[in-house]
Amino acid sequence: MIRALKLEWLKIRNYRLFWILIGMYLLALLVIASGGGLFLEWLKREGVNFNGIDPTIVPIYDFSDIWQNIAYLGSFNKILLAFIVIISVNNDVIYNTMRQNVIDGISKVEFLLSKMSFIVAMAAISTVFLFVAGLVNGSIYSHVWGAAFIFDKMEFLAAYFYDILVYCTLAFLLSLIIKKAGFIIIALFLYTIMFEPIATAIFQNAPYFKDGIMPEIVQYLPIKSLNSLIPFPFSRYIFMEIDDFVPLKAIISSTVWFAIYLFSIVFILNKRDLK
Amino acid sequence: MENVLKINSLSKRFGRIQAVDKLDLTVPKGQIFGILGPNGSGKTTTLGMILEVVALSGGSFQWFNNMKAVEARKNIGSILETPSFYPYLTAVQNLRIAAHIKQCGTDRIETVLELVGLFDRKDDKFKTYSLGMKQRLSIASALLSDPPVLILDEPTNGLDPQGIAEVRDLIKDIASQGKTIIMASHLLDEVQKVCTHFCVLRKGIKIHEGSVADTLGEINRVEVASQDLEKLEKCLESFPGLEFLQKTGNSIFVALKPDFTSAEINDFCFKHGIVLKKLVTQTNSLEKEFLKILKEYD
Repeated sequence: MIRALKLEWLKIRNYRLFWILIGMYLLALLVIASGGGLFLEWLKREGVNFNGIDPTIVPIYDFSDIWQNIAYLGSFNKILLAFIVIISVNNDVIYNTMRQNVIDGISKVEFLLSKMSFIVAMAAISTVFLFVAGLVNGSIYSHVWGAAFIFDKMEFLAAYFYDILVYCTLAFLLSLIIKKAGFIIIALFLYTIMFEPIATAIFQNAPYFKDGIMPEIVQYLPIKSLNSLIPFPFSRYIFMEIDDFVPLKAIISSTVWFAIYLFSIVFILNKRDLK
Repeated sequence: MENVLKINSLSKRFGRIQAVDKLDLTVPKGQIFGILGPNGSGKTTTLGMILEVVALSGGSFQWFNNMKAVEARKNIGSILETPSFYPYLTAVQNLRIAAHIKQCGTDRIETVLELVGLFDRKDDKFKTYSLGMKQRLSIASALLSDPPVLILDEPTNGLDPQGIAEVRDLIKDIASQGKTIIMASHLLDEVQKVCTHFCVLRKGIKIHEGSVADTLGEINRVEVASQDLEKLEKCLESFPGLEFLQKTGNSIFVALKPDFTSAEINDFCFKHGIVLKKLVTQTNSLEKEFLKILKEYD
């Protein structure tokens, strides 16, 4: 595994575009993870109040709720990591270096392992980064303190990690199917933030579909499965509803998709003529 | 003799095109084996299959008496078609990746770059290289692990005349170290100058296989003419080096026995009082043989 990861490391170590993208990603993550307090202060300055309540006392950075909150917000950023994966795989496709790697003496499964270890490493870095950002923000804003609170609800960080892992594997698969990186990036972006959510909304709410089987089926679409890993956390501040666990159904459907992606990648790599 | 490569009825079909058709080949250790064929005859496809980048449609192959293919590739230096490297990395950085995959250590990087004449440019990015330099880098990469077997697909592609000569010398030099080389080329001249054995592919079918020396030894011809062709013919019939002769309109083709040259004909005729007005050695070229072989199958 270390050997597989080192192969990727040699490929990206001197690749400036990678460092720019990963820097932008971490910056975006930092802004999202830390921006909540600033956002609430901005609301206050603008004169907004929630039924007479000062926005800044909304406890979004309280342990242990903070983990679900920032994991939920941070997971929107995963699309940027997927772009990095797309560029990395696409480079190996368009420069023919995937073929050269195989000729030089790795198997196609080892190629898969090297890209997957790269994805795991990025997901891990992102999770650790989010964890540190959570600790810092929590220590500044949290109204409660102590290990029992801080290390509670850590499963949302695990869900965050898994979300990135599966999503980036989808990006890997797409990069093997489609040769144009720009096209994959646009297609994946639109599908993730528009096509599937809009389709989901239609099937769940349109009168024609609402009472049929469709609302149940859309729960299992690729993006919806992943998004359900970390339930929308802010309803607890508005409706006092609490969804503070990682749903088993989402874990299962995400895992099924993960398996489908991996099998498809292996299938394509074995069947494809590299030329 | 120990076999480096054994191919059994290897086949590849791309849709309606049979690119390689039941190919059998055996390459013993130490041979310089040329695969000849016109464009689209299945040379690169064959090499692609034995390097596992092209999926087989049928048949099998074996490296080094059943070594696992992925391990075997670590002991093979290969160039397949166009040079493939990361354009944003320098020569040294690119070769580090190859060394990592081949698990061969990085201490030979500078040696091979020097060998192919890229040492001065070793820290320049691959994308700044000319086609010839890119090709040189692939050769460097193939030599990196000092492998016992080399696979070279059009190794002199894109090189200038000097580069071509250098690469040929390099190949001969490597061959003289007892290494095995499998080389695909459509340049017959190249195969003739470098290879010991060769096969000819046409539309994916092997139509000829043999040693270069044997195939070229078959003919050794000289075209001669003089004022009086009949007299010349009579005279030549007594020439000790004569294999057979063939008279055409205004000249005579003489097939020589091995070890006889055109100088001896000239000398012989002169001694018999005939002055030759034409004396052309038919260069024994694989090209003619090649075209002949191809024609036989048309």
